[in-house]
Amino acid sequence: MSSPVSAPDALAPDFLKLVGVSKTFGNHRVLDKIDLAVSEGEVLVIIGPSGSGKSTLLRCINFIAAPDEGEVIFQGHSWKAMSSKYNFLANRKYEQKLTVLRSEIGMVFQNFNVFPHMTAAQNVMLGLTKVRKQSKDNARKAAVEALSQVGLAEKVDQYPEKLSGGQKQRVAIARALALQPKVMLFDEATSSLDPELVNGILEEIRRLAKAGMTMVVVTHEMNFAFQVAHRIVFMDQGRIVEIGTPDQIRKTTEPRTRSFLSAILN
Amino acid sequence: MNSYKFDWAVIDKYLPELLKGLWITLEVSLVGMAIALIFGLLLAMGRLSPLRLTRSVANGITQVFRSIPLFVMLFWVYYGLSLKFHVLFTEFQAGALALGITGGAYMAEVFRGGLLAVDPGQREAAMAMGISKSTTFFHVIFPQALRVVVPPSVNVYVGLLKGATIVSVIGVSDMIYVAQYVSLQTFTPFELYSVAGIVFVALTVSISGFAWMLERRLGRGRSE
Amino acid sequence: MNSAQPFFDFTSVWSSMPILLKGFAIAMACATVAIIIAILLGLIVALMRLSRVKILRWIAFIYTQFFRGIPLYVLIIWVYFGLAIAAGVNLPAIPAGIITLALLNSGYLSETFRSGILAVNKGQIEAGMALGLSRRNVMLHIVLPQAFRVIIPPLGNQYVDAIKDTAILSIIGVPELMRESKALANLYYRPFEFYTFAGLLYLFAVLVVSRGVSVLEKKLSAHSAQTTVIIDVLN
Repeated sequence: MSSPVSAPDALAPDFLKLVGVSKTFGNHRVLDKIDLAVSEGEVLVIIGPSGSGKSTLLRCINFIAAPDEGEVIFQGHSWKAMSSKYNFLANRKYEQKLTVLRSEIGMVFQNFNVFPHMTAAQNVMLGLTKVRKQSKDNARKAAVEALSQVGLAEKVDQYPEKLSGGQKQRVAIARALALQPKVMLFDEATSSLDPELVNGILEEIRRLAKAGMTMVVVTHEMNFAFQVAHRIVFMDQGRIVEIGTPDQIRKTTEPRTRSFLSAILN
Repeated sequence: MNSYKFDWAVIDKYLPELLKGLWITLEVSLVGMAIALIFGLLLAMGRLSPLRLTRSVANGITQVFRSIPLFVMLFWVYYGLSLKFHVLFTEFQAGALALGITGGAYMAEVFRGGLLAVDPGQREAAMAMGISKSTTFFHVIFPQALRVVVPPSVNVYVGLLKGATIVSVIGVSDMIYVAQYVSLQTFTPFELYSVAGIVFVALTVSISGFAWMLERRLGRGRSE
Repeated sequence: MNSAQPFFDFTSVWSSMPILLKGFAIAMACATVAIIIAILLGLIVALMRLSRVKILRWIAFIYTQFFRGIPLYVLIIWVYFGLAIAAGVNLPAIPAGIITLALLNSGYLSETFRSGILAVNKGQIEAGMALGLSRRNVMLHIVLPQAFRVIIPPLGNQYVDAIKDTAILSIIGVPELMRESKALANLYYRPFEFYTFAGLLYLFAVLVVSRGVSVLEKKLSAHSAQTTVIIDVLN
C-alpha cells in the first residue's frame, strides 16, 4: 500500500472545530457530544458502521442538520445551535447568516443530488449567480471551467438524465468546487455508483487532496481511506471511538474498531 | 349604508325544516350512489372486457359522462330525457339518476383501478389450482380489489353529496331549497345560507376524514 | 309535442349557435381567470401549510378544509345572495362567480401543491442549502420547478373541474353556456337538443384541455426528475 499524501507542514489550529455537538431525532441520540478539530489542508476520513452518525456529523458541520447543542467554529467564527425553536424571526435571521458558512463549505452527496431540471452548466451556475452574485456570463465561463476540470467539457449542456452516475457525481463535485470552498465534505460519494465508476470519483477526491483541499470524507472504501487520510476517525453509536493516523488505526487495540475493520476488510 | 338586520333567531325557528331538507339531500345522494355503484361496476367490467368493441364503448361512455357537468346532466335528465321520451321523472328521481350517471363514470375509474391493482400472480395462482374463472373473481380478485376501492369510493360519495346540493334548482325541497324559501319570507339569507354552508362543510369534512382513516386502516392490511 | 316535427330537431340549436358559442367563451374565460387566481392563492396557502409557524399552518389547514368541504352551489349563493346582501355590496355576477370558483379551487390546489412540494427529494433541498442558497432561492429555483412537473396532471384535472363548474354560475345570472342553453331550451321548447349540445361543448373543452395537458407533460418530462428518483429508490 502506498504511503499517505504528505501531511501539511503547519497545522493551523481552530480552522474547523466542533465542540460538544449533539443531535437528537425523536428519542434517538444520533450524535452525542462530538468534539473534533480539523486543520487547514487536512484530509479527515470518517469510518464506522451504518447508523453510527457519520452522515449527520457532516450535516452538522454546515448546519444542513442544525445541531441541538454545541458549536461549530470555522475560521475563528462560532456557529451555535438555533437560538429557540419558537422564536421564528430570530431563527430566520440566523438561517440567513448560515448561508455564509455553507457557501464556504462544499458538499458532495451519496445520491448526487444534481438538479434534474437544469443542465450540467446550470447546476454549477446556480450557486455562482445566486450566492456569489456573479453575472450570468462570468458564471457560465466559471461553470465550463469547473466542469472541464472534472472531465465533463463535452457534457456542459446536457441534462442529468443523459449522464451516467459517475458523470452526475462529477457535476456535483464541479458545482461545489466552483464556489471555491475552503472545506469539502464528501458523504459516501461513491456508494451509489456502479463498481466500475467508483475509481474515477475516488481519483477526483485524491486530486483535491493533493491540491491541499481541506476535506472531511465519509466513506466505506477502506483502501482509499487508508491511502488518502491524514487522520481517520472511527465512529460508533453517535460517538467518536477513536482518532488516529492510518497507521495507528490499522494497528489499533480498540476492540470495536478492530471488529469493524476485520469485518469490512475481509 | 347597510341596512341589513341580522336575525339568528330565524335559524332556531326553522331548524326542523332545514334538517328535513338536509335529510332529503342525504337521501338523494345515497340513492344516486347506489346507482353509481352498479353503473360503475358494469362500466369497469366493460372496460376490462377482452372484447375490443365492449372496451371502446365502455371507455367512451365513461369519458363522456365524466366530462359533462352534473348541473347539465340534471337538466338533461329532468327536462331533456323526460320530455323527449315521455318518462315523467319526479324531481327526486331525476336528481338521483343524474347523480348516479355522473357518479357511475367516476366509480368506473375507481373499480377499474381496484381490479387492476390486484397482483396478476393472484389470478395465476388460483388458475393453477384449477379454480374456475367466476370463483376466482368473486373469492380471490374482488375481495382484494375491495380494499383498494373503498376509500376512493367514499370520496366519490362526498363529491355526490356536494353535487346533490344543486337538486333544489329543479325543485327538490332539500336544505338549500328550504333556506331559499324561508329567506324570501324572513329576508335573512345570510344567516340561513351560513348555517347551510357550515352544516355541509362539517358533513363532508367528517366523511372525508373517515375515508382518510379507512385508507390507513385498509392500507395496513394489504401487505399481510 | 307536434307530431309533424322530427323527433330530433337541432335546427334551433344551429340557428342559436352564436349565442351558445359566446356563452361557451364566457364559461371558458371565467374558468381560466378563476384557475389562475386559484393557482396563486393555492400556492400561498400551500407554503403557509409548510411553514414553520404553527399559526400559519393552522390557518392554511382550516382554509383548505373549508373550501374543499363546501359545495360550490352553497358557496356561490352564500357569497352572492347572502354575504353580498348582508354586507350591502352590489357584486356583479361575473366577478362573484370568478371569485367563488377561485376560492374553491384554491383549496384543492393548495393540497396538490403541498404534496407536489413534499414529493421533491429531500436531497435536492440539502444540496441547495449546501451551496449556501437562501431558503427562498432553494424554494424558487430547486423545489418549485421540480414540484411543477408532478403537479401538471392534477392541475389539468382541476382546470377541467373548473370548466365544468362554470355551469353552476348560471344560478347567479352569469351569461355562460348553461344559462343561455336554459333560456333557449325554454324558448324553443327543445331541452333535449339544447342540453345535449351544451354537454357536447363541455366534453369538447374537457378533451382539448386533457390533450393539452398530456402534451405539456410529455414535453416537460423530456429531461425529468424520474431517473434520479429511480436511482434513489434503488438505493
